Amino acid sequence: MTALYINDEEVTVTPGTSILEACRENGAEVPYFCYHPELSVAANCRMCLVEIEGWNKPAASCCTPVAEGMKVRTQTEALEKDREMMMEYLLIHHPLDCPVCDQGGACKLQDYAVEHGASHGRYAEMKRAVVDHDLGPFVSTCMTRCIHCTRCVRFADEVAGTGDMGVLDRGDHMRIDGIVEDCLSSELSGNLSDICPVGALLDKPSHDVSRPWEVTRHKSTCTQCPQGCDITIESRGDEVIRIRPEKDGMEPWICDRGRYVYDAFRSEQRILEPKVRESGGLVAASWDDAIGRAVELMKGKRVGIVFSPDWSVEGLTSIRLLNDAVFEGAKVAFDLHRRDMRSFAFEEGLAMTTQQIEDSGQVVILGSDLRQRLPVLMQRLRKRINAGKPVSRIGAMNYRTNTEPTKDSLIRPRDWSAVIAFAMQQVSGLGKTAAGMDAWMAGVEGRHEAGKLLADALMDDSCALLVGEEIRSHEDAAALIYGLDLLMRACGHAEAGKDGRNLISEGMNPQLLSSVFGDVRTSAGELFDAASNGELDVLLLIGSDPQGDGLFSVQAKQAMDKVPLVQVGAISGQISEYAEVQLPAAAYSEVEGSFVNMEGRIRVAENPLSSLGAERPLWKVMMRLIQDMGGDIPAVNLDELRAHVIRFAPQMEHAWRSSDELMITAARNNTATHASSTKAPSRSLDLISRYSMYREGAWVRASDLLSEAGCLHALDDVLVHPNTLAGAEGERVVRTSSGEQSVHVGSREDVVPGVLFVAKRGVAGDLSSESEVDFVGGAA
Amino acid sequence: MIPSDPQKVTGICFDHVDVPNQNSLAVARKNGAYAFLPTVLKEFDADKIIDEVKTSGLRGRGGAGFPTGLKWSFVPRNTGKPTYLLCNADEGEPGTFKDRDIMRFDPHLLIEGMIMAGFALDVKDAYIYIRGEFLHEANVMNEAIREAYAANLLGENILGTDYSMDLTVHRGAGAYICGEETALIESLEGRPGRPRFKPPFPAVEGFYGCPTVVNNVETLATVPAILEHGGAWHAAIGVPNNTGFKIFSVSGHVNKPGNYEVPMGTTMRTLIEDYCGGLQHGTVPKAIIPGGSSSAWLMAEHYDVPLTFDDLIKAGSMLGSGAIIVMDETADLVALTRRLAHFYAHESCGQCTPCREGTGWLERVMNRVETGHGCEADLKVLKEASEHMAGRTICALADGAAAPILSLLEHFPDELRSRMAQSHQEEQSA
Amino acid sequence: MSAVEQALPQFSSKRLEEIKTLIARYPHSRSALLPVLHMAQEDFEYLSMDVQKLVAKTLGLHLMAVREVVTFYTMFREKPCGTYLLEVCTNAGCMLNGADELVRHLCDTLEIKVGGTTPDGLFTVTEVECAGACAGAPVVQINNAYHEKVDAAHMDVFITEARGQGGKK
Ligand SMILES: Cc1cc2nc3c(=O)[nH]c(=O)nc-3n(C[C@H](O)[C@H](O)[C@H](O)COP(=O)(O)O)c2cc1C
Ligand code: SF4
Ligand code: FES
Repeated sequence: MTALYINDEEVTVTPGTSILEACRENGAEVPYFCYHPELSVAANCRMCLVEIEGWNKPAASCCTPVAEGMKVRTQTEALEKDREMMMEYLLIHHPLDCPVCDQGGACKLQDYAVEHGASHGRYAEMKRAVVDHDLGPFVSTCMTRCIHCTRCVRFADEVAGTGDMGVLDRGDHMRIDGIVEDCLSSELSGNLSDICPVGALLDKPSHDVSRPWEVTRHKSTCTQCPQGCDITIESRGDEVIRIRPEKDGMEPWICDRGRYVYDAFRSEQRILEPKVRESGGLVAASWDDAIGRAVELMKGKRVGIVFSPDWSVEGLTSIRLLNDAVFEGAKVAFDLHRRDMRSFAFEEGLAMTTQQIEDSGQVVILGSDLRQRLPVLMQRLRKRINAGKPVSRIGAMNYRTNTEPTKDSLIRPRDWSAVIAFAMQQVSGLGKTAAGMDAWMAGVEGRHEAGKLLADALMDDSCALLVGEEIRSHEDAAALIYGLDLLMRACGHAEAGKDGRNLISEGMNPQLLSSVFGDVRTSAGELFDAASNGELDVLLLIGSDPQGDGLFSVQAKQAMDKVPLVQVGAISGQISEYAEVQLPAAAYSEVEGSFVNMEGRIRVAENPLSSLGAERPLWKVMMRLIQDMGGDIPAVNLDELRAHVIRFAPQMEHAWRSSDELMITAARNNTATHASSTKAPSRSLDLISRYSMYREGAWVRASDLLSEAGCLHALDDVLVHPNTLAGAEGERVVRTSSGEQSVHVGSREDVVPGVLFVAKRGVAGDLSSESEVDFVGGAA
Repeated sequence: MIPSDPQKVTGICFDHVDVPNQNSLAVARKNGAYAFLPTVLKEFDADKIIDEVKTSGLRGRGGAGFPTGLKWSFVPRNTGKPTYLLCNADEGEPGTFKDRDIMRFDPHLLIEGMIMAGFALDVKDAYIYIRGEFLHEANVMNEAIREAYAANLLGENILGTDYSMDLTVHRGAGAYICGEETALIESLEGRPGRPRFKPPFPAVEGFYGCPTVVNNVETLATVPAILEHGGAWHAAIGVPNNTGFKIFSVSGHVNKPGNYEVPMGTTMRTLIEDYCGGLQHGTVPKAIIPGGSSSAWLMAEHYDVPLTFDDLIKAGSMLGSGAIIVMDETADLVALTRRLAHFYAHESCGQCTPCREGTGWLERVMNRVETGHGCEADLKVLKEASEHMAGRTICALADGAAAPILSLLEHFPDELRSRMAQSHQEEQSA
Repeated sequence: MSAVEQALPQFSSKRLEEIKTLIARYPHSRSALLPVLHMAQEDFEYLSMDVQKLVAKTLGLHLMAVREVVTFYTMFREKPCGTYLLEVCTNAGCMLNGADELVRHLCDTLEIKVGGTTPDGLFTVTEVECAGACAGAPVVQINNAYHEKVDAAHMDVFITEARGQGGKK
């Protein structure tokens, strides 16, 4: 530790800390613009000057490391004059338009001008005017206000990894520019307006909507992906006008999906009042009438329940309570991306925290478009790569990561077992083995050399596997995951504390779902088939949209053609065409509830936004259904409900009583042993349905902002490698298990040959349920 | 080592600049180029070379006058990373034109110096960063390097020894700031030349994060003589702590402008009167810029100052790159200052607030003042805006920008005020 | 390859070879950016956006990285200039020796402003910073060749001769 004096007070900090950081840690106020704790140091604003005893000139504190015994002063007359002059330089060309500027009231320049500025500027020459740029739907610019701190440029280089912002020219012509085709190519672009300390880069969607002082802030959890970022929802009255990362949250950034989904809160798609179907259309009804209709449809019937994993812990538990109270033995499903329902050797969710993953010796991404799937985790990995730590990847496409992975290998989904078997062969060659590994290996015929990459990573002291959708949605997922489990055991990575078995879940609350629904869940596909086959009488969909999301859209449609649908949720969506009844449940911003993210981190939201219409928290809707179905109400308030949560998931015991950071770790299944599969593929092409952060999820589809971004970022709906296409891009006939259909096929070099990539919700939405297809005629 | 009498030396870097075709290897060799190199490569080691350079008292000729041997000794060894040697041939400081003559007339002297420095620092790749405008000089250097490669003076196993070094000429593209060593490194990495803050110093983390030594052309061209004759020999030239010869580029209102290599400690008067043939008009200079446009001005009272790093600091200025711009009684110092203000505004890299905004501000105020539209309040603005730039930025360009303005305000406020009065009169008569 | 990409200007194969050798001289190819831009400017006269894209592609850089460099350095031009680029140093040394008068003379003779190009596309006159040749003040660089101790008469002869040659460099 280094000891130094800040304004005569002795403080100790880690060696190598900058003076500015030492001051921040110890409560000494030093003004700054260009410094940002998450970005590299630029030291260009020169606002952070301090005096150091024995130095003949003031020092920029952000780039001067502390030294033993150093005597620093942050408040002197000379420094005040320097700061006043620095403000005068900065304001030379800055427009005096604070009253109309969105940043007004939350602007560092404005604050410091008040604190450190002279009463009036003396600059009497020509003012500079700077042209603005079109950076797409999320960021608007007013470049004349720019103070050249280069935070945005460093953000684009270091955090987003896109390098599309830059500094042109020099001297006082120097200006910030962005080179974009239609929009900034980063999925984190919304953070730009947050890091700009002045009003040069602004949030476009909320532009001119409100002033910072009119805003109420609500601490909440984003449920748009399993990362479950800590967010602040800013509202004016009950209207959400902006979402930002929570200041003291786990992550400094949030992705554009989580940020801009807010326009869905007010969209036409919101279910704000109970509705029932009357002569073909859905019409508003009272709660009593709507519940009555739902009861009528479901009472004494065979019910299939499909729900979204993204409800609060309390909401999810109330679904289980409904099931137990009135639908004992009903089919229940929540996962729309899982084909293989055998139990997994490691259940969904991460065994590590994102910090542990960032710090791990090795990280291997297995079959995931992580930038789209978990943009914030991908940012952590980017940070890791930039710091020279390895991240390797095996998968079917060179999914864009905005920083080259250290090692990369392209494989088809059908190669996974050969990859794992090859890795097993490698590690056992080095004397590492686990009970059952030899047999698993022996059960696989081929070997794929991508396994070398996996084996190499496993030989490190610590290794984090990030198992993604290509494996999770695999027909043989349980066997593959067991294979990976064997590898982890063999290489000594299975003990608690250094376990790197991370299975990326479909949505929020994975650990809780295992605890609460582990014994009753079934496959969504099977559930829909049962409905189609006359084994079910009615479907109850709670926030789930199986037509828009997941792998079973075809089956879901067939089911709903057959049986009536009761829809409970916040977003109506296309699926409402089938609904006989709609019951409004409150959005995640509107409930007092708890959420568990993929790491197992528990968050409790306490000051929700008020309801927009007649919607109620999901658990109340569930209790009402139980009551009207004739069951005993298990809980009349949140406390009682939470007691039930603890009954299913004892790990939640302290969630509402302790202010400590609580984690529930992902479950293990030491009994889930699955032999490797020997089933030969029946068709020539594997099919992967590609995830898009701008299209997946009912909330996202209800957002105009994200839909626009989805169009700007879209790739071809159906993609293959040029060699697989063996001919020009265009219409092709594809044969599936259910027949033939013609689709437009595009091509890309950076995908593995032999795989058809299908964008969900595209024209090829119907293909996404397949896992193998053929080209009819002319296939490679 | 060939001991020779330092008193009889007539020059170091410029000893052969006048020899026709000295830029060709054959002629250079006839005049002793590379003669001592085999001895260095075979009999010297890093410590010995660095010691000799330390003993010589050589201080960098690029501007800051930092002791060269000391700089070399800061380079960490056995880091597992390569060490780079970069020759600073950016020569952009207004008034400076000495490196150009070394490169176009005696390129082999620089190459030899770089091989020796490279050998001492265990350098595999060395670069000469030459200002883009010096196309001819770059061509001459490249031809000399080609000849040196052909003669096994560069490349693999130089002269049959274990030492190998590659040397590449890299052209800048018009940016004064790239003479600042960290901006030079940025530029050599293919980026805009924006200086880096220090620490870390280039000696530890420079070119692509590796240990890097940046030396001026003249500094490196002095190395062969030091090694050949010994550090003590060099230390005996000039005055203590300011040893050896120094090339002064003299321009402005002198009768014979040019480069003069004289022992350190020669007085300004001797240089101007005896070497440069005196002033064009009058007998004493109105003002002298002693070390490039970024140095504070000297007045007639300093005419006898000995030209050393230390004496010029004592006189309130600096030796800088040794570029002396002489202004006689005909000089319009307000116009000159305005022109220099334009230079700094044009050349500021733009990153530091006070430099970016301050240089532009100063230039605009000077434009107004020069055209007779100034007012008394402008004097205060000029002073404060300059004073708060200097010493508050990443590099010293801002200090350089402040120097002429502060000199003008200090020594010639009346000249400034008379401009204002002039406009006042015009307004009244209009 | 899309039609847009095909329309990009191309380096000759000889140039590409040169660039390859050049890259090998540096620890990272990015260092070749300034030299390659010099080459591109020689080949294409100025650095249009398309040429900048070509350079970015050739060195595997983001176009922004190229734009930053092109706009930072004064020797890189984004617009065409006259066949003869007359760059007059007007910094201290040259100013004290008549550079401003020389510029005025050139502008009057050619009937253009500083920075302008004659309508016949022959001459462009600009002012530049210290050329590093102050003993030869005033200094004019003509297409990168230094001309020292130049005076108005000198330049008149040069202009007449250049006009006589009808635009060949
Ligand atoms: C704005 C600025 C411009 C500079 N220009 C040059 C230059 O053109 N040539 C040079 O050798 N040094 C120049 N320097 C000094 C270099 O930063 C560095 O000190 C020098 O190259 C070190 O070499 P030396 O130790 O051999 O003198 C400049 C410094 C500053 C701050
Ligand atoms: S002082 Fe000026 S030139 Fe130097 S780094 Fe700062 S802005 Fe750039
Ligand atoms: S001032 Fe013109 S060349 Fe130096």
